[in-house]
Amino acid sequence: MGVTCVCQVPVAEGKSVQQSVDIVHKKLEQLGAVKQGSFWVDCETYHPTGNVSGQPSKLLYVMHNSETPLSCMGLFEGGPCLIADANFDVLMVKLKSHFQNAKAHKVECRGSRYRYCDFLIKVGTVTMSSSARGISVEVEYCPCVVPGECWNLTKEFMQSFLGPSVPELPSVFAAKPEGLFAPSDCIDTMTQYLELFNKLRKMQMPGSNVR
Amino acid sequence: MADALHVGVNLDAFSHAISGIQALRSSVSRVFESLKDGMKNRETLEGREKIFISGFQEQLQSVNRDLNELERLSGLVGRPSESHPLHNSGLLSLDPVQDKTPLYSQLLQAYKWSNKLQYHAGLASSLLNQQSLKRSANQMGASAKRRPKVQPSTLVLPPQYVDDVISRIGRMFPDLTIELFRPNGTSAVLLVTLGKVLKAIVVMRSLFIDRTVVRGFNENVYTEDGKLDIWSKSQYQVFQKVTDHATTALLHYQLPQMPDVVVRSFMTWLRSYIKLFQSPCQRCGRFLQDGLPPTWRDFRTLEAFHDTCRM
Repeated sequence: MGVTCVCQVPVAEGKSVQQSVDIVHKKLEQLGAVKQGSFWVDCETYHPTGNVSGQPSKLLYVMHNSETPLSCMGLFEGGPCLIADANFDVLMVKLKSHFQNAKAHKVECRGSRYRYCDFLIKVGTVTMSSSARGISVEVEYCPCVVPGECWNLTKEFMQSFLGPSVPELPSVFAAKPEGLFAPSDCIDTMTQYLELFNKLRKMQMPGSNVR
Repeated sequence: MADALHVGVNLDAFSHAISGIQALRSSVSRVFESLKDGMKNRETLEGREKIFISGFQEQLQSVNRDLNELERLSGLVGRPSESHPLHNSGLLSLDPVQDKTPLYSQLLQAYKWSNKLQYHAGLASSLLNQQSLKRSANQMGASAKRRPKVQPSTLVLPPQYVDDVISRIGRMFPDLTIELFRPNGTSAVLLVTLGKVLKAIVVMRSLFIDRTVVRGFNENVYTEDGKLDIWSKSQYQVFQKVTDHATTALLHYQLPQMPDVVVRSFMTWLRSYIKLFQSPCQRCGRFLQDGLPPTWRDFRTLEAFHDTCRM
């Protein structure tokens, strides 16, 4: 498990989402990347229903990742995170009285997985209630464990197939440039996906309350 | 034919010479015989002395005559076999049937060949001694006989000394963690952890580095039964490349008389990988080439280069 960076790729002007994804695929293949199956990430949103006096209610996101098919990640908005068994979904159903599933807010990301040398690239389409909202690209540099060390290298790689639209160091890492990535890798990746999903959600529905 | 005639003359001279020697011996023994007997009893003292001296003179003259005769004969006999370079095997040349048994010409050829071989081997050994690339006991072979003390002493060092050298190197580089294992006998195996970048397994023989494998920081260095895994290579291409370069470095840093300097130079070189993912190539200025960071480190300047940029 190396250092992962998730970013959004803007849809090319005059092109559909699928066409833009195809362009990225083509660029990767020209570079020499090899396709290795597919991947998916999904996210469900839960509203807390119980009124805890004096505390602002936090949203709970429950996420799944095809890289860790037996686990289930629970992330409180801006708060603690946990990694649980896949049974966690069943538990959430039992906790219906405390957390309510906002079905309309379910976000999914599906796409292809590519390998190029020690890089792992996942190009996905983000869909929200069966409509495509945007394109995500996840790049993982497997041999390195310290985000701050390999960021320039990862950035140069992303520029080679994304052009100038490369993000800055993800905010997850800004807080711990020297810290180890490995032990909490899954959470760091899922936090980045969550940020991306929220960004896309807000972008599509300006002014409306996401909650 | 000429050979046969020559031999005949020789044999004749031999028999003459032998009789000459016999004559010489008898005349010499006659001299001593008369000396032993002393002067014969005569009437006057003068007569006694006169007869004794004249007899003695006569005998000495005959000895002289015999000796001259022998010297003359010995000139005729010559020294055929001693002067030949092949000694007695030179007599094979006397075999008259050359066509059927060409032993003598074959012998000469073999002799020339072995002479040349000895000469070339001498040249090769002096050249090889200048290039001291001896890394193991097997290669020392013949030279071990000549220099029995220098080589073995560096190969058979007490484990305590090896431990000292390694721990001194470990203290020199704070970002280098060196763990020492002795899984089989006295040979040490080092597990070198460089920052949060890589782990290298270095197999030693005494203070000579025998083999090295470099793996990622998050890769496993132990096998399932908890032993150091010194064989399997890294799953990442970048560390496979670094392993290749580290093996090159092992062959580059060679100084058989001072093995501790070699280990220290190697560790200094390995330490330059602390910025494996951070330093761009010194030639092309880029981070990636064919998906790999600059994996080569110059042996002297320790600058980072891509494998294809280092020429």
